[in-house]
Amino acid sequence: MTRLEATRLVVEAAGDSPIVASLGHPAYDLFGAGDRPQNFYTWGSMGVASSIGLGLALARPDMRVFVIDGDGSLLMNLGSLATIGLLQPPNLSVVIVDNEAYATTGGQATPTAAGADLEAAARAMRLDACTVRVEAELRAALADRRVPRAIVAKVAESAPAAKPPLDCVFIKHRFMAALGNPE
Amino acid sequence: MSPVPLWAAGVCAGLHAAGCREVVYVPDNPLSHVLTELGERYPDVRLVLATREEEAFGIAAGLYLGGRRPAVMLQSSGLGNSLNAIGSLVMPYQIPMLVVVSMRGDAGEWNAAQVPMGRAVRPIFDAFALPHVTVDSAERAADIVRVAAATAFATRIAGACLLPRRLTVAEHEGR
Repeated sequence: MTRLEATRLVVEAAGDSPIVASLGHPAYDLFGAGDRPQNFYTWGSMGVASSIGLGLALARPDMRVFVIDGDGSLLMNLGSLATIGLLQPPNLSVVIVDNEAYATTGGQATPTAAGADLEAAARAMRLDACTVRVEAELRAALADRRVPRAIVAKVAESAPAAKPPLDCVFIKHRFMAALGNPE
Repeated sequence: MSPVPLWAAGVCAGLHAAGCREVVYVPDNPLSHVLTELGERYPDVRLVLATREEEAFGIAAGLYLGGRRPAVMLQSSGLGNSLNAIGSLVMPYQIPMLVVVSMRGDAGEWNAAQVPMGRAVRPIFDAFALPHVTVDSAERAADIVRVAAATAFATRIAGACLLPRRLTVAEHEGR
């Protein structure tokens, strides 16, 4: 399963629900999988995608909120798992597309390549968590409405060819309007 | 229990008057008065503990995207932990929030390790073009905080209120 294939499944499962994507290749693949107003593409702030998703989930308990994070990004903000575990938002699903590399910066190996286990980290912080390796497993995990709140999807790099819009304020306006919170 | 200091009551009243119902924080000694007052007298305000200040800015950004008016509370030392989220999320996406900074390293400081970051707070906010105001009067605290927050949400540019130790520690110690 490539990251793009995994991302397509997240978009399919999300329907009209918002998706927050970590910067770089996860955001590029979200754009490639299907640009939609409910996509929030980050262009910086490495590590905080799951925090943005948590805030959104707290603000909008009526919505299911998805986050597409990277392994390198989540490792930069592991405390986020503790906060999510503390608050137990019932509407937040964090999908970690784990390619075991900092792909956006040239493919340097992350600690998950040597066995660092993000599913175990999520469980230790009181999230429901699972690891999936093929599309059928990911599809089933995404459909599980008991929300396995952290889904570690082991993926192959998919070398995105397109990038989302660069205008940060446009991304924000479009996203907020789509969620019914126009500025 | 000692009564809440006037400045802390003012911070709470000011942020509440500006519509903030979400406070994301990393704790600090003076801020404990604000958090206690919010917990006891403002049941409509949700307090969200973050493990690190950069995370707090991310959570606050998500709250704003979801239609809320967030405040972030941190100690000045924690601003150093927040810079990338402020510089590459809060400012370029124009995500407004009230930022309340409990100052260390200014007049009355006893810990040298707090001084460099404390002295850097204002130049850093200036470099980010993030407006900041110092709450220099307990009596005016509510008004200063309310106006700073209202301006932030109206202009979509985060605004900071700095709480100097002259304000927070003297009363905290009952002087």
